[in-house]
Amino acid sequence: MRGARSLAPFAVFAAVALALELSLPRVVADSSVRQLLMLGGVNVLIALSLNVINGMAGQFSIGQAGFVGVGAYASAVVVANLQARFPGDLSLARSLWLVPLGVLSGASASALFGVLVGLPSLRLRGDYLAIVTLGFAEIFRLLISTAAATDTGGLTSLLAKLGGQNGYAGPNELGVPQIAGPFWVFFAVMSVTLLALRLKFSGWGRALRALREDEIAAAAVGVDPTRYKVTSFVISAFGAGLAGGLLSIMRDGSPITQPDNFSFQTSFDAITMVILGGSGSVSGSILGAIFVTFTIKLIELLQSTDAVQAIKASHEWLDLNALRMVVYAGVLIAVMILRPEGLLGERELFQRGARGR
Amino acid sequence: MSALELSHVSKTFGGLSAVKDVSFRVPAGSIFGVIGPNGAGKTTVFNLVTGVYRADPGGSLRMGDVDLGAKKPAEIAAAGVARTFQNIRLFAKLSVLENVLVACETKRATGLLSAALRTAGFLDDEAALRERALELLRVFDLHALADHAPTSLSYGNQRRLEIARAMMLRPRVLLLDEPAAGMNYGEAEGLEAQIRWLRDEFELTVVLVEHNMQVVMGVCERIHVLDHGESIAEGTPDEVRRDPSVIAAYLGDEAAEDE
Repeated sequence: MRGARSLAPFAVFAAVALALELSLPRVVADSSVRQLLMLGGVNVLIALSLNVINGMAGQFSIGQAGFVGVGAYASAVVVANLQARFPGDLSLARSLWLVPLGVLSGASASALFGVLVGLPSLRLRGDYLAIVTLGFAEIFRLLISTAAATDTGGLTSLLAKLGGQNGYAGPNELGVPQIAGPFWVFFAVMSVTLLALRLKFSGWGRALRALREDEIAAAAVGVDPTRYKVTSFVISAFGAGLAGGLLSIMRDGSPITQPDNFSFQTSFDAITMVILGGSGSVSGSILGAIFVTFTIKLIELLQSTDAVQAIKASHEWLDLNALRMVVYAGVLIAVMILRPEGLLGERELFQRGARGR
Repeated sequence: MSALELSHVSKTFGGLSAVKDVSFRVPAGSIFGVIGPNGAGKTTVFNLVTGVYRADPGGSLRMGDVDLGAKKPAEIAAAGVARTFQNIRLFAKLSVLENVLVACETKRATGLLSAALRTAGFLDDEAALRERALELLRVFDLHALADHAPTSLSYGNQRRLEIARAMMLRPRVLLLDEPAAGMNYGEAEGLEAQIRWLRDEFELTVVLVEHNMQVVMGVCERIHVLDHGESIAEGTPDEVRRDPSVIAAYLGDEAAEDE
């Protein structure tokens, strides 16, 4: 009975997500707003994944975009090729097998890289580890964007099939099928949130936090630093790959998966989300992700207003996209001064008891 | 039967010899003291036994038939060697109860996936471990503080919490590094009784490094004395107390001659 109860929440999530899938196009007529909502969902997934490394494990990774990118490309390739091989309408029924295949291959590919990047984390700490993670993300992005087909074949030619700087648009350049609707995005958000909370309040999460507090003491009570650190990287990469896997096949998204979507900027946004919300807090990461998503959109909207357009016309040098960085910087500095632990610290919204559960 | 056996164990840091050719056997079920003046290498011996440092090649460190010398700290802990630290090392951001619970990860029957899915097995496991952790907190009179931050505890309570955490591992050998440091006379006396009780109740072997001679002489059945990283004496508390080389090490050569 209790075994069944442990799966029950996922059934509820599926029902809620299905309701959203059916009602969202009617409630929200503007497809760009729908896109924003779903993008917010993907950002929540990215923030939750980064929270495992940066928050719970207490390691500093600034290369989350790399994991998201690996997932995005893997998922795009799998889904686009399957769609080309077995053509059909992009219906919800079809998405029931196509989306899980794509997203899970994205997440798994990313998890493999998680092992690779996680291994140096055993010897490196702080800034040095940050450089490794950043290096991984940038190498991944540059490898893809600079790969050109050669006569001799080999790895570069293989990578060139991903479209280089122009992006990947499927095997026939028809675009990556945008098959994952609100159902998938919101089902993933709800499920991953629950899993993140469960992991945080499980023995595993406890051991990970203990390791963050004091590695020697944790090892002295049987917590193997190697195993836990690498596992945390793998889980984090899996989550980021899942987010990327959704991103590249998301309805109302872009049919072309581009390497520049996974630049340092994306990693930095992810860090902002986690730190704003409170490192180690699941609900904090969610709030941070929502805040960041909507600030980006708000500034875009501001830019399209007549008043701002007029200013822009008279001052050509003005780059309003850069304004976003100014807003972030201001908010981050304010948070660091007023609440160094972030909005929620390590706590959760609606947490039962003092530290219970 | 010896629970812990060191033979010809040495450790040098750079050119500095911290522990030199130390050998001793800790009889199973005994309370064994390792003493010596500051810098004698007592804590280094603990760090060698628990794998924090790797001993120089040549010697051997064994617990029964388990070779500890080749194992990593977490493996040594899982094999049944638990310890406390001289400069208390608690997990500051975990509650008192969580501090104890961390020490049961190696004994958990269910894995990460069952934690994610909250299977019945996981919940049973968790409930049992939590029950045991609360029981240990009760033993050390800390159960009322289970939800508190460890940093809010008194010094003596922090030391006791470290012991409770170590006991959660169900160790065969418990290493206590200066458990009485910072305790007053009454607390130290209580500690002696607690150490004896622990040994009897859990059928442990206890090894302690301690400066408080009241505690060492009161609770230890055998004592091994180190000075400058070398063994200088071993015996019952009375034998050690009368040993001229021990007196010399603690008080200087002249004191030993006067005796």
